[in-house]
Amino acid sequence: MQVQDSTSIKELEEIILSATRTERNLSSLPFPVTLINKKSIKSANSIRLSDILEEQTGLLMVPDYGGVEGVQIQGLDSQYSLVLLDGVPLIGRTAGTLDLDRITVGNIKQIEVVKGPSSSLYGSEALAGVINIVTEDPSPGFGGNVNLRSGSFSTSDISSELSFKKNKVGIYAFVNSFSSEGYDLTTNDDTRTVEPYRNYTINTKTQYNFSENMLMFFSGRVYRQDQANRISSNITGESEIDEWNIHSKFEIKFNNDISSQFEFYDTYYHAKEYLNYGSGDLFSSNSFKQRLTRPEIRTIFKFSSKNSIISGLGLQKESLQRSDFFGSPEFRSSYFYSQFEHKKDDSLNFILGARYDNHNEYSSQLSPKLAAFIKINDKIVLKPSISSGFKTPDFRQLYLYFTNSTLGYTVLGYNAVTSVIPEMESNGEISSLFVDLNSFTNDLKAESSVGYNFGFNFKLNSKLKFDFNLFRNEIFNLIDTRIIAQKTNGQSVFSYYNLNEIYTQGIEITTNFVLNNRTSLSAGYQLLYAKDKAAQRSFRNGEVFARLTPTSPSFVLNERDYFGLFNRSRHMFNFNLSYSIPKWQFEGNVRGTYRSKFGLYDSNGNGYLDKYDDFVEGYSILDLSLNKIFQENFKISLGIDNFLDFKDYQNIGNIPGRIFYGLAQLNF
Amino acid sequence: MKSIKKHINIFIMLMIVSHSCSSDDSNFIAESEYTSVNNLPAPQFGGQGQPASGPFTKFDFSSGSITTNEINWDIGFRGTTIIVNGGESMGTLDEPTRNGNAAVYIVNDIFSNVLQVEAGLFVQDSSSSYAINIGSGNGWYNYTGSPEHLILPIPGRVLVFRTRDSGYAKVEILSYYYDAPENPNALTDQSRFYTFNYVYQSDSSQINF
Repeated sequence: MQVQDSTSIKELEEIILSATRTERNLSSLPFPVTLINKKSIKSANSIRLSDILEEQTGLLMVPDYGGVEGVQIQGLDSQYSLVLLDGVPLIGRTAGTLDLDRITVGNIKQIEVVKGPSSSLYGSEALAGVINIVTEDPSPGFGGNVNLRSGSFSTSDISSELSFKKNKVGIYAFVNSFSSEGYDLTTNDDTRTVEPYRNYTINTKTQYNFSENMLMFFSGRVYRQDQANRISSNITGESEIDEWNIHSKFEIKFNNDISSQFEFYDTYYHAKEYLNYGSGDLFSSNSFKQRLTRPEIRTIFKFSSKNSIISGLGLQKESLQRSDFFGSPEFRSSYFYSQFEHKKDDSLNFILGARYDNHNEYSSQLSPKLAAFIKINDKIVLKPSISSGFKTPDFRQLYLYFTNSTLGYTVLGYNAVTSVIPEMESNGEISSLFVDLNSFTNDLKAESSVGYNFGFNFKLNSKLKFDFNLFRNEIFNLIDTRIIAQKTNGQSVFSYYNLNEIYTQGIEITTNFVLNNRTSLSAGYQLLYAKDKAAQRSFRNGEVFARLTPTSPSFVLNERDYFGLFNRSRHMFNFNLSYSIPKWQFEGNVRGTYRSKFGLYDSNGNGYLDKYDDFVEGYSILDLSLNKIFQENFKISLGIDNFLDFKDYQNIGNIPGRIFYGLAQLNF
Repeated sequence: MKSIKKHINIFIMLMIVSHSCSSDDSNFIAESEYTSVNNLPAPQFGGQGQPASGPFTKFDFSSGSITTNEINWDIGFRGTTIIVNGGESMGTLDEPTRNGNAAVYIVNDIFSNVLQVEAGLFVQDSSSSYAINIGSGNGWYNYTGSPEHLILPIPGRVLVFRTRDSGYAKVEILSYYYDAPENPNALTDQSRFYTFNYVYQSDSSQINF
């Protein structure tokens, strides 16, 4: 851990792994990538992945059902972002969102965020972007550290890293324990906004270099979380998450031009919960068990100094057992990708790639990508790219068979409809059917997108630079729910269908400015328009109305009155101001984020978010931290997260209020 | 106890909001008079997984009031469901038999712009579905879902009724909550109280409002 002492923007080459699946210099990549290095994570004193992501330009953490947090990228929901751990996907999206609070940053070397569709390399889910978490590797010699952070809400984070590497063998081990009493934003009920929890992460890595050209790698990770579960004072229980990942890789370099990697990945995620009455009788229980297994082979072939190709071939098996499911579905797919890269010289390179996914449950997908890097001069770089993305329907959208026990409505996965509806009809549960069952015999289509990005980097001098990125994502076949039948109990049967077309577009600007040898400022801004095309048409055709008060007459709205999709802010802003005193090994920083107003629901009944609806007001979060290093190996930090103590119990459930903390780290 | 008392105290207030006593029949674009009904109770039992039950609150346009008469009613309210006295019963518990010729269709427009009846559009209740479809976005309301759980009338949806005896009425529903609060709260405001405006045209030979 080094306290920042640079006087100009680092000219050191930063290496990105996930953008091309090869080690690639960040500075010459032809598409938008954000790199978060260990130094930034350490200087912000982050503990969970969500802490550091929320401070990045254009990334927004949004809460989802069940107290989890996911990331919105370029205005697209968290279910459209792929989250990778050392290049392989994490699973366990119980309601669509992968919970980023699950991931500790203690063993992270760097985080790579590739924005825009990347299905040409990664297949399904890489529609809005890819977040790749690169964890630490064994480093030469023997070393390690112990890290403690303790703060408000009884949070305590303890982690330790141990690393050993000598000759051919490298071993790395990491342990983390995190606990919190949770928090409560409402005091008038028996439950807490987030119930107390505790989790553990253990990660080990082993490397063996058979020779300079042959490397074996094995990584294992275990995660466990226990949390209290409570819906009222006398209905209580527990929820539990168990997860493991096994990742092994064999790399061989045949010669200077050809190298191959054989990779095997296996992961398992099990979430279960129960609730009991005070008497001890069971009130409800739930289980979600997912497993993904994937072998992959890839080869990099440099057939001249300017041209190279990376190709990969893989198989994937994914299964899910879950409460309220129709059967125990299994997905099998095979895929092939290839990416050609031409590097004319330092001022021009381009990438052309595509991936083909073949799946047992729905139609196959071809996802191409084309990107170029054009350096006009020492100050200006252009990065145009076009790529496609897709997200296959998930298990829930295909196989859910859920009847709400208190309200009585039913939700059916698309593939369950043709079997379950006739069964419900013969039981006399259906009073009328609104759809033709034959229309469910065609496959539900994958959601797909085309993303356009146009990057423009402008470097005024070694102390000031601006990066602009214009983006537009067009999404087709967005999956939504609709009522397909009415039940005799007066409730509805819902199912999934392809309908909506949406787009998100905007501009992202980041800037870095070194004021002097002690002070530096980085700042970012995102302007976003996220809209549903059908809604936009309805507004344009004068089919949408509003009333100012319940008793005032209604009037027609026009296209300008349409705000767009829910939970999107037009403006987002962030900054990081850092001040350091090198000779004291001291660094302090102030970090802030702002998001402008957004709508969470339609408050005036017309079904759309328009300018006459109730909006959640814009808000700011300010974080402060002070870091000092003693005798090279001991670091002490003090900080305040959410210094302004912002909270909004009604609308924003993932911001607990002001947090004071202290941190100590000992390296050895 | 409190809610029962409230029910007893409820009476329908009728107010003539505006008079435009225009004797000039050709000028039907002139601002027409409309009648407001406030806090029409539409209780429902069951639901939430159980079959819905309880009597529909019946409304008669010619008298402009609630009625318990089994024959002389035009439309009925129970929870979010609105039925017409025409067509067939869906056979839910406590659902009245239809004995009139009432029907309905929905127009997407500003209330004062709906000036003419389109006789070809009328639909009656049937044994498989109501003429005014139930469910969020399908009929007269949108349901906001979790966590607000509000039932909000869709602005610009005008219900055009043919009454049991072939008169006409256009209706705009304004609120589903007691006293039509400006920002209703599903947890604290009492639901199942309709506030709506209507214009009634008793002359079946006239298709203009």
